[in-house]
Amino acid sequence: MSASLAPECNEVKERYDTCFLKWYSEKYLRGAEKDNKECAGLFNEYQKCLSVALKDRGIDKLLDEAREDNKENDVRLTAPRK
Amino acid sequence: MVLTHSTNHTYSHPFPTVTLAYFLRYSSPQLNPFAAHVLSTDTISSHVDPETQRLYTTRIHLKKSRMPSAVYKLLPASVSGGGSGEKASYILETSVVDIKEGWMKTESRNLNFTGVLSVVEKQHFKVPSSSEAVARNETDVNSSVSFKSRLGEKLRGKLGQAQESSGTGWLPGLLGGLGAKGIQRSIESLASTKTIDQLSKSRDGMRLVLERLRNGGVIGVMEKLRQERQRQAMTM
Repeated sequence: MSASLAPECNEVKERYDTCFLKWYSEKYLRGAEKDNKECAGLFNEYQKCLSVALKDRGIDKLLDEAREDNKENDVRLTAPRK
Repeated sequence: MVLTHSTNHTYSHPFPTVTLAYFLRYSSPQLNPFAAHVLSTDTISSHVDPETQRLYTTRIHLKKSRMPSAVYKLLPASVSGGGSGEKASYILETSVVDIKEGWMKTESRNLNFTGVLSVVEKQHFKVPSSSEAVARNETDVNSSVSFKSRLGEKLRGKLGQAQESSGTGWLPGLLGGLGAKGIQRSIESLASTKTIDQLSKSRDGMRLVLERLRNGGVIGVMEKLRQERQRQAMTM
């Protein structure tokens, strides 16, 4: 898989990605079990590592700004379909 | 002003495979040589809505900048980061998949350099409406990209944006001479010409990933990625 922006998170990122792709292709897309609980532990581990890097690089602030700018888009994307 | 470009395309692969290819498209230059400019990809949120069963995913990609050099030349170093300096952009990608209703909506936008240029790409993949097209295992996609330059406009203090108050004094002169709107429009049109070239490459990349999924399935593709990782680890 492609690298994480934080090299120290590469290993856990790869394990999470593999878990996600397996769940997505074998379960979600087949209409089975909709919850990706099986990857939740890996995801939390990955986020613990990544959040440090996001802060260090100021990406958390960029994200907050984008979310502010983007509130109307969230509404559009999550709106029920007619 | 906002420049928008919109296209329709049909993939000759079924909808679930197309959504999988979307998630896989940046996973490795071996899988998709058209993604060599993608330096990293991280997932920052992923959840299934328990009521609608839609999957919401947010990722951040770091890409070598797509901003054309012509745009850089228009900008003073204090804005562009100077010469061959920081030319990587953080891209925020949000996606929603509804497997029951058969659609996926995605949006990508740049997180830095937004004071110079905002590029927002939206894609709407869906199972085709005609039963013949469904029988042929096709997937329709509408893509739109919009370009908006806010150079010279007063914004909240953002990273990587033009700082009028920085005291360099270039901005009033530059904008006074050429006109803020003129500069903004040049940036938008330069960027759109470049991006439209790249849209076909991005479709070629999707098609390659789709072909590999058709030939090897997801397990085959993941196995290839795993082998590639091992090779990399051995050469390190």
